[in-house]
Amino acid sequence: MSLSTHATPSGYLLPSIHSAPPFFTEQPNPTTQSTATEQWIRLIISYARHRKLFVLRVEDAETPGSEWDEILRNERINRRILPDHLSNVMATMVSKNLAGYEPAKQTRSALIYWRLPEEWAEVLYDWVVSVGQLNSILTFYDITDPPLESALTNIPVPLLRKAIAILGKTGRSQMIAIADGEGVRFLARSK
Amino acid sequence: MALRRYTRQVDGTIPVQALLYNDEELLASQDGVGIYDGSQKAPDHQVGTIHVTSHRLFFLNAQKARAKSFEMSLSFIVQTEYYAGLFKSSAKITCHLSGTPVGLGSSEQDGAHVAQFDSWECEVCAYRNPPGFSPSAARICDLCGVPRTTVPTPITSVSSYHLSTSLPTSALSSSTSLPSGSRSSHGTKPTSIACPACTFLNHPSLRSCEICSTDLPQVSTELKSAPSSRPITPDSDDDDNTPSKSIKISFRKGGDKPLYAVLKRALKTKSWEENGTASLRDANSNDTDNRNAPGRSGISGILRTVETSAKGRETHMNDALQDLEAFMVKAKDMVKLAAELNEKLTAVSSSSGKGSDVVLTSGVAEPEEATFIRSSLSQLGLKMENTPVTLDMMKDERKWVDELARELAHVLQGSSTSVDHTGGMMKNRGIIALDEVWGGWNRARGVALIPPSTLLQVVPHLPAHTNPTIRHRAFTSGLNVLHTPPYSQAAFGARISSFLMMSGPKTTVEISTVEDLTVALVSEMIDDVEKVGGVMRDDSSAAITGGGSGTGVELKWWGNVFQGYIWDGQE
Repeated sequence: MSLSTHATPSGYLLPSIHSAPPFFTEQPNPTTQSTATEQWIRLIISYARHRKLFVLRVEDAETPGSEWDEILRNERINRRILPDHLSNVMATMVSKNLAGYEPAKQTRSALIYWRLPEEWAEVLYDWVVSVGQLNSILTFYDITDPPLESALTNIPVPLLRKAIAILGKTGRSQMIAIADGEGVRFLARSK
Repeated sequence: MALRRYTRQVDGTIPVQALLYNDEELLASQDGVGIYDGSQKAPDHQVGTIHVTSHRLFFLNAQKARAKSFEMSLSFIVQTEYYAGLFKSSAKITCHLSGTPVGLGSSEQDGAHVAQFDSWECEVCAYRNPPGFSPSAARICDLCGVPRTTVPTPITSVSSYHLSTSLPTSALSSSTSLPSGSRSSHGTKPTSIACPACTFLNHPSLRSCEICSTDLPQVSTELKSAPSSRPITPDSDDDDNTPSKSIKISFRKGGDKPLYAVLKRALKTKSWEENGTASLRDANSNDTDNRNAPGRSGISGILRTVETSAKGRETHMNDALQDLEAFMVKAKDMVKLAAELNEKLTAVSSSSGKGSDVVLTSGVAEPEEATFIRSSLSQLGLKMENTPVTLDMMKDERKWVDELARELAHVLQGSSTSVDHTGGMMKNRGIIALDEVWGGWNRARGVALIPPSTLLQVVPHLPAHTNPTIRHRAFTSGLNVLHTPPYSQAAFGARISSFLMMSGPKTTVEISTVEDLTVALVSEMIDDVEKVGGVMRDDSSAAITGGGSGTGVELKWWGNVFQGYIWDGQE
């Protein structure tokens, strides 16, 4: 048995378990399967962080060519994760609050919380402070596609909303309706 | 004239078998026989065949079969004499006759006789009695034993008694006056006939009562037939009227001795009395018509019959049970004897085994004898060492189950003693299905087979009697097996997972080859191992190319590579 780590073209170091064929089969034994699911979740989050991927869909396991191919498939051992299996893994992630279905009320695609929404809120606030935009109104576009690439670049709007909502609870943000959509004003830390 | 008086003409052209009553039996026959009437030869009966039956004597004339054949009831014979023959005189049997002769009352008896050959319905039980019984048997119902109460026979026979007692003395002289005498015996010229049931006086031409339809005594027909038969009586009566009450049977062609023996036996048996004559005679002698006398008639009679038969059955049953008990006592002795014998044999064989160097010759010969004796014992069902244990050999059920477990252990592992090392069913196998065990055990027992339920009762006791211990294991599929320690779940799981770790993933078939077990059994066992996480599966339906659900789906078993896995990928 040659279980070893493997570096992908994108520079990601795959764990050795990824080269074990049973990893890609759903195990009937719940204990074994929970171990496997744990490793899958860790792999997905770690890879998402590496590639800054936010959305994982069940379809990604069905058709080759998606940006998740490097972990959902292993050409070297001729194995891929089956959609059902992936769907179960995603369900576990959602239940552990490591992902959230987006849009809600379906199970085909999910936002991967490689940072928790609370973490994203802090990241967002830090960024606003760092770019000196406190007390000014920002559109969502300003945040997701800033002129200077930030940690928040390409962040999906639903996730952004969650972060803003979290900041709003502590009085650090305020949603403002503007002519062509929504804006947000970040306030200084409460006195 | 004895011959005429006591015999009745029959049609000799009919084979004798056809003349017999239903309850009559042909005992012996002899041809070349002549008849003496009294001491003189009967001229018309010189060549013929004599038949002895259980009821009658038949003489079938060889020349004038139709006209000159006769039958005679054995009941008339009171004594027989045997004459062996001398020079030209042939052997003879003399039959002395007495009783009520038939000859004179022939017409009435004939009427009765005809009636006997009708089928009739018993008035008590409504059983339809078939025709063809002998006169005595026909007088009582075949089913309930109640005498026939319908009119003709008893009444006519009574009247015939009157005739017969009065006739012999005046048979010849008063032949003309007889009709009037007989008339007077029946009363005056019948203007009417009293119904025996309701006493209504019916017109003489009626055959059954006008009121109650009971059959009427046929007085008028008797009277009509009497004169017609009467003239025959005197015309050939050339003899004196001294009652020469005997006939002789002359054996011209031998065969006298066996026939005489048969005749004697038939007379002794008195089978014509068997059925009903006794009671009839009782009724006649009492001169009453109490047919419900405590004999064998009526409901009480039936009840009594039932009672006696029940009693008889009970005694039979008691006898049988006593026999059985005695037999069981004996059987215990037998078993004890066999046990002793077996012990001795074992002792001898062990001693001979020890001193084999001393007695070589006898040491060779002895086991052969021993096995012979043992096999004989086993054929008698008394083989001790491997005797099938049955419940009745044991005091209580727990002990019984215990003994069964010991026996099963023998079957599975072979006997632990050194006598035979053939080995049991599990000699070369560590695991065996329970159904096979059951079959094998019962085959080994041969008798007193064990039901599956008992097998299941016994199995839990097995570990106490086996070395190495044999345990029972049930799989989720319902498959039950007995296994030795190497095949317990833990041992097998450990063996399998280390084997998989060592030699890489394997399919079920490959594992079954290595373990030398059936594929089905192995897959059951692996499923169990998987349940505790000992192995994991790699389903080739997860393959990118090839595989897929459908063709060539192959399951490979891996050791649990996840267990204790530490993340070694990128953080």
